[in-house]
Amino acid sequence: MAGSALKRLMAEYKQLTLNPPEGIIAGPVDEENFFEWEALIMGPQDTCFEGGVFPARLTFPPDYPLGPPKMKFSCDIFHPNIYPDGRVCISILHAPGDDPMGYETSAERWSPVQSVEKILLSVVSMLAEPNDESAANVDAAKTWRDDRKGFEEIAKVTVRKSLGL
Amino acid sequence: MRSLLLMGLSLGLTAAVIGNAFYQKKQFYPSVVYITKSNPSMAVIYIQALVFVVLMGKLLRALFFGQLRAAEMEHLIERSWYAVTETCLAFTVFRDDFSPKFVALFTLLLFLKCFHWLAEDRIDYMERSPAISWVFHIRALSLMFVLGLLDIFFVRYAFIYTLSKGPSVQLVFGFEYEILFTIVLMTFIKYVLHSIDLQRQNPWDNKAVYLLYSELVMGFIRMVLYVAFVFIMIKVHTFPLFAIRPMYLTVRAFQKAAQDVILSRRAIRHMNTLYPDATPEELSSGDNVCIICREEMTTGCKKLPCNHIFHTSCLRSWFQRQQTCPTCRLEVLRMPRTTPVAAAAPPAQQPQPAQAPQHPVNQVQNPFQNMQGMFGGLPFQWPPNVAGQAVPPPPFIWPPQQQQAAAGVGAQQQPVSSAETPSQIPITTSSSTNNVGATATSPTVPLTTANSLNVPPFAIPPFMPPMMPPLFSPFGFPPPPMPMTGLSEEELRVMEGTERANIEARIQWLRDIQALLDGAMVLINQYNTVANHIGTFGINTAPVPPVISQSGLSSEVSSGPHQTYSTWWPEGSGARPKYTSTLSKTQTTDSPNERKSSSTVQDTVVSGASGFTAPREEIIPAWENPREEGHEDDMHEVRKRRLQHFTQQLQASYSTPTLCSNGNSDNSGVPSSSIKKDEEDH
Repeated sequence: MAGSALKRLMAEYKQLTLNPPEGIIAGPVDEENFFEWEALIMGPQDTCFEGGVFPARLTFPPDYPLGPPKMKFSCDIFHPNIYPDGRVCISILHAPGDDPMGYETSAERWSPVQSVEKILLSVVSMLAEPNDESAANVDAAKTWRDDRKGFEEIAKVTVRKSLGL
Repeated sequence: MRSLLLMGLSLGLTAAVIGNAFYQKKQFYPSVVYITKSNPSMAVIYIQALVFVVLMGKLLRALFFGQLRAAEMEHLIERSWYAVTETCLAFTVFRDDFSPKFVALFTLLLFLKCFHWLAEDRIDYMERSPAISWVFHIRALSLMFVLGLLDIFFVRYAFIYTLSKGPSVQLVFGFEYEILFTIVLMTFIKYVLHSIDLQRQNPWDNKAVYLLYSELVMGFIRMVLYVAFVFIMIKVHTFPLFAIRPMYLTVRAFQKAAQDVILSRRAIRHMNTLYPDATPEELSSGDNVCIICREEMTTGCKKLPCNHIFHTSCLRSWFQRQQTCPTCRLEVLRMPRTTPVAAAAPPAQQPQPAQAPQHPVNQVQNPFQNMQGMFGGLPFQWPPNVAGQAVPPPPFIWPPQQQQAAAGVGAQQQPVSSAETPSQIPITTSSSTNNVGATATSPTVPLTTANSLNVPPFAIPPFMPPMMPPLFSPFGFPPPPMPMTGLSEEELRVMEGTERANIEARIQWLRDIQALLDGAMVLINQYNTVANHIGTFGINTAPVPPVISQSGLSSEVSSGPHQTYSTWWPEGSGARPKYTSTLSKTQTTDSPNERKSSSTVQDTVVSGASGFTAPREEIIPAWENPREEGHEDDMHEVRKRRLQHFTQQLQASYSTPTLCSNGNSDNSGVPSSSIKKDEEDH
């Protein structure tokens, strides 16, 4: 009987492989270690990130699903809710105890109901609709708010970079 | 590549130094002296020794761990840096005995620490690895064995050294190795727990608890060690700066372990007391995947007040962090405690099943107080389907005026009505005896005939009413039971559980039933007294051997149409929920028609609750000719035997106070029917 975290991750991997959601590919980096995942996220359509493919790393804690995984984009991405080093700042990835931005209610926090799929879908919708109220990247939030054109230009560059162009 | 280059360089330098020494001195001893006297040569030799240590480490690592994972490497390097800084701090304390040997000992300590950390990481990884090979087990076991031996050896060495030569730097080593030994111990405990878990087919719920407690104990030992160490160091040398960080970490780890244990205990307590187990029906209906572990739920599941169901173990580990429902985030602890109330309520309502069935006719709460009004305006709807035989429900209506008038006059009907409630149980018993006696003695006589006559005793004495009230009062009857209609399915389910609260509830039920039984006993005694007084029949006259009657009873019980009910009582409380749920269902129906349909159940309940013998009379063929005079003698005979049998049972039940002692408690509904017949007679 393997650990419950491992079993749950295997179940989620199977689920994601059998019914992959649109625009998302995710799986363990290697089958020996199910606690490190790599995800590829397609930029949502009709947004400035359209067409981009953004790789990200998901690191699961040993007590998953009681604790949230960490998600970090491994490419450059200029977005109000993504730290300059690539870490994603969305409320469902925060453990109920801590509140880095000080305004999330616990109802938006991590709970075992969440899953890799839900996290990635949330990230896709976050890409489509940045939340500049709780900015992880203040520059990006400012640009998004004041200079939408400039933000879109930078996003286009990001998309091109993510495609290796 | 770079490390290879460094190694080659160091090897070359050493070769050059040694070659140079031999070239100059030509002999072994002078060249050794030359090398040790020359500082540059010694530096080269030290570097070479370090390289060897590193090589040795690589070899051992390859032997015990194989390839290190990235996370392990990262962890190791991070911890090594802290350890190196602390070692440098320790040097400042022991600058007086600074020597190559001292440095070597510290290097060895660091070296061993690295292996302890790696072992810890490896064992932690066990739980997260999809496949554990036997190589892993061999490596882990041998590594832990070697590390443990080394730790013990060094602790012992430091202890003897300190005893013989007084406090020195060996004190530090002794404590360090003791701490390392606790790490080995903890790693071993984890290894054992993980191994047991791996061998199991289904999840091991208690593993987390064992881990928590072992963490707590180990954390405590480590903390005590550190405190003692700091204390001794302050006394002997000076404040050990280098021990502050590990000590702080240890105290914090211990605090966390203690907190975890407290939270875990609280979670378990809540699980056990607040939330009911999910029933198989709930599990089988709809989505039965536990949202926490994404596995199917088959057994061991709990239902929260918000109706979300989870594995008990999953829920417990989640509650250790947060007291909310994982699905809907309902704050389960702030909920009004509905479930415990429900669990507590049944005991209060508990006498109901014992009494309510006595009056299938209505829901009078306290028959002993409301005797007068009891039958007032109540349609006496006798269960037609007692035993599935069609006993036509006669329109047996007792107008209250009539009853009251009768009470004054002492009319023949009155005793029946007033004695009705208390005498039910006697009737039941006697009818059962009757049954047996009839079968034993005169098989030709239809049982119904005997049955038909079992009531007259109650109707005969006209002076019974005056006697009854004074006899009743001294024996405090149990308080009126609360109606069970309020019991929902869920509340009933609560009683099914095996937790303390549920068992207490059941015991409370049983006690109340016992109280009722005692009351019934009193009535029976009164009945006997009256009967003896009248001289109509004696209790000890009939010579029916009890063995026969018992066998007859049991056979009848087993063949009865209510077999499902006939089995429940002797089993004890286990089957009780079934009974209660049926009862509650029955009692929620207030309309006479519905009650009619469920009267069988109620009757069964009567007998079950009273714990009296009375085999099922349903089996008795339909009442054919109650007033047939030809059976008069038989009836008397039968009545005697019945009473005798009843007395025996009475004694038996006095000697054994628990109700459950009567296995044949399961007559169904005949008392009422017999009474009715009786009244028809009159």
